[in-house]
Amino acid sequence: MATFGVGLSAMNFLADLAAVADGFSFSHVTLSMASVFSLLVASTLGSEGFLTPEVVLTLIPTAPLLAAAIIALLGKPLLKERSHLVTVAAFLVSFVMSLILMFQDLPAAATQHGPDVVESAVDHEHQKSYGPAVIAPIFEWVNIGSVNVRVDLRADAMTAMMLVMVTGVSLLVALFASGYMHGDPGYPRFFAAVSLFVFSMTMLVLAPSFLMLFVFWEAVGLCSYLLIGFWFKKPSAAAAAKKAFVVNRIGDFGFILGVFLIWVNFGSLNFADVLGRPDKLEALATQSPELVTGICLLLFLGAMGKSAQFPLHVWLPDAMEGPTPVSALIHAATMVTAGVYMVARCTPLFVLAPQAQVVVASVGAITALVAALTALTQHDLKRVMAYSTVSQLGYMFMALGAGAAGKDHATFAVTAAMFHLFTHAYFKALLFLASGSVMHAMGDVIDMRRFSGLKHALPITHWTFLAGAGALAGLPLLAGFWSKDDILAALQTAAEHSPYPGVFKVIFAVAAVTALLTAFYTFRAYFLTFHGPEKFPEEAGHHPHEVTPVMGWPLRILAVCALGIGILVGPLTHWFPSTLGQTPGLSHHEAHGLHFGLMAVSAVIAIAGVGAAFVVYIKGRASIDGLPSKFGPLHKLSLNKFYFDEIFTGAIVLPLRGLAKVAFALDQLLVDPLVDLFGAIPRWISSIPRVLHNGLVSSYAIVMFTGLLVIVLFALQVLAG
Amino acid sequence: MSADYERFLVVGAALFALGAIGFLSRRNLILMVLSAEMMLHGIGLSLVTFSKLHHSLEGQAFTVFVLTVAACEAGLALSLILLLYQSKKSLDVNVWTEIREPDLPPPVDSSSPVAEEDLQEFPKLTPAGLQPDVSRFGNQAGRELVSASQKGGQS
Repeated sequence: MATFGVGLSAMNFLADLAAVADGFSFSHVTLSMASVFSLLVASTLGSEGFLTPEVVLTLIPTAPLLAAAIIALLGKPLLKERSHLVTVAAFLVSFVMSLILMFQDLPAAATQHGPDVVESAVDHEHQKSYGPAVIAPIFEWVNIGSVNVRVDLRADAMTAMMLVMVTGVSLLVALFASGYMHGDPGYPRFFAAVSLFVFSMTMLVLAPSFLMLFVFWEAVGLCSYLLIGFWFKKPSAAAAAKKAFVVNRIGDFGFILGVFLIWVNFGSLNFADVLGRPDKLEALATQSPELVTGICLLLFLGAMGKSAQFPLHVWLPDAMEGPTPVSALIHAATMVTAGVYMVARCTPLFVLAPQAQVVVASVGAITALVAALTALTQHDLKRVMAYSTVSQLGYMFMALGAGAAGKDHATFAVTAAMFHLFTHAYFKALLFLASGSVMHAMGDVIDMRRFSGLKHALPITHWTFLAGAGALAGLPLLAGFWSKDDILAALQTAAEHSPYPGVFKVIFAVAAVTALLTAFYTFRAYFLTFHGPEKFPEEAGHHPHEVTPVMGWPLRILAVCALGIGILVGPLTHWFPSTLGQTPGLSHHEAHGLHFGLMAVSAVIAIAGVGAAFVVYIKGRASIDGLPSKFGPLHKLSLNKFYFDEIFTGAIVLPLRGLAKVAFALDQLLVDPLVDLFGAIPRWISSIPRVLHNGLVSSYAIVMFTGLLVIVLFALQVLAG
Repeated sequence: MSADYERFLVVGAALFALGAIGFLSRRNLILMVLSAEMMLHGIGLSLVTFSKLHHSLEGQAFTVFVLTVAACEAGLALSLILLLYQSKKSLDVNVWTEIREPDLPPPVDSSSPVAEEDLQEFPKLTPAGLQPDVSRFGNQAGRELVSASQKGGQS
């Protein structure tokens, strides 16, 4: 019965895919969505058919990889403007497989495995994994001496959470992009790179070892580079891509040093051998606590690069040079959260290094505050969103650092961070896509001074943007409210229980101020864009067009998520914390009660921020122009992004350029002549015999005969004794 | 009996020496090849003699191989010489001095002592036999063939 259901819905699904390939209207997509869910239901009902856990796990990264290969090979000559169909189909497969993994295979693995994570990891040392997880062995990569590196896929609760989020958001963004990128000459290239990115990102979260994590850490960096520099003929885009790559290298440098340290001290890079051995970790921490702190700090340096934390945050705002769907997918929802994911994954390590966690929390706090202050004055709508992303990532790191409160509270802190990561992905992707839709309608103008009052011209964009802005600002009951509330609670716990109460009190205050600023600048952007007198830039033409359905529906779906997903998986069902608690390394904990006091505070903060924005930008719209002069240097500081770019240019880029010039001069004046000298010696020695080589056959013959004669005479001499 | 062998060996050595001298002193490509052949046969003769002397067939077997290879080599050498001649219209080996160190001056006596034009006298065959009947071709190709053969005969 169940098998029949699976077969039926699979056929239905394939037929829908074919229909999508035919015409691609939105009814088809909804149809295939329906069939996807029937497939899901049918397979959940009971199936040991072809979708074994290994197949499910393998399909998640393979589908986007295949799509990337197909588009890269056939995109330009064959697929052209149909390239997105391959990508969308692949992402759909990945998304469905992630859901199956989340709701069917993982619970099955958990019941098989039993809840007692720690014991089993010790008992089954030979096992490649620890804790309840689904594993798909792929192949052995390196096996030399004691070094054994396997390329496997491993999914536990945290991975599944990331997979559902990544593939889900990617699917919606790919749909949006098919409308947004329409008519671009690089259309197939875009979808090939996005598919490659989703492959890399899924592999990153599926990695079973630090080495694999690092490999795909770099791979997502590469995809990010390719997509930021998508319009590579634009000098600013090329420079932004280069900047992102170079700044990330600084972080990666720390990351790989941390990985080396782990290798030296643990003799293995598998998560199971490093994170799954609490006894060994404890022993190491008591023996040399500074070593664990060092490892954690180095790993965190990697996370700072990838997740754009102060002072390595400078690349993320520039990354907005890429196409807006890329900003939404890579530079807001998925890739930049890899750092948060990595630190959360290494919780067993970070728990043992409270100093490192204080650093994590402090860096997060500084980032959140600085980025929020910068976002206050930016004119570029996408840049406001970019700084807000940096700020929210800082929030997540604050929460991760709050694990310093001790082992019992670490799980709560990490859950808060991951919860914020989860909700943030939806509402920030939504905000970026809505900004993209504004940009699309305004003829690629994104400067908020040049348009206003768009709420009548772009109703769908307006309402969806409002939903995202509300969620970001943390208005009560929306997605961001719950996760932000959790983070504040985690910080409060840290202030009470950690060895550094003073530091965490300050960080808590910073978090509260940042929440206020977030609400303010988000609604500043909203009021400036959608309210006030209707004004369009001349690039927009006579009448700005609202989004096409293919762009509108992803916005609507994301808006629903932004409004409801927080309460749905958080306080209403406690599904998120209870699922994430199954991650090895995190302990089960009772669902925290709602923190009504904190909720009231954060609700007041959010409403105050929105109200302030309303007062300043709606009531006082006439006097906006006078605002900068009121704040004077403060306004200038914020507008110029705290002069970080200038400071880096002066302190790092210019000295390094000078050093490069010195090195070049040394090379020219010292090294090159030396090398030339060594080249000249053989030439000089050979100048003697080379006169023999005069091209005359007879002279060669003479030389040959002379040589022969000498040999013969010598031989005779020897023979004669 | 041994004196006979010595005679053979002397002849062989003489052949080799003459060939060597010829190879070194001659500038005509064909004569140089001939000299080389002479050296080869001097050695062949010595090999056969020694084979007889030591009652071993190895030397003779070698010689048979040498003769075979020499035949091939002669054919190859002559065809190469023909090609060389066609490209420079000269058999003088000193004309071919391009393959030397690039910054060395050309060898002193690179030019041939004999003017090439004076060497351009080839023997001519008198036309003999009947004019071939080409009427059966009956087409343009046939007429061209005839006129070509007539032209060849005249020159």
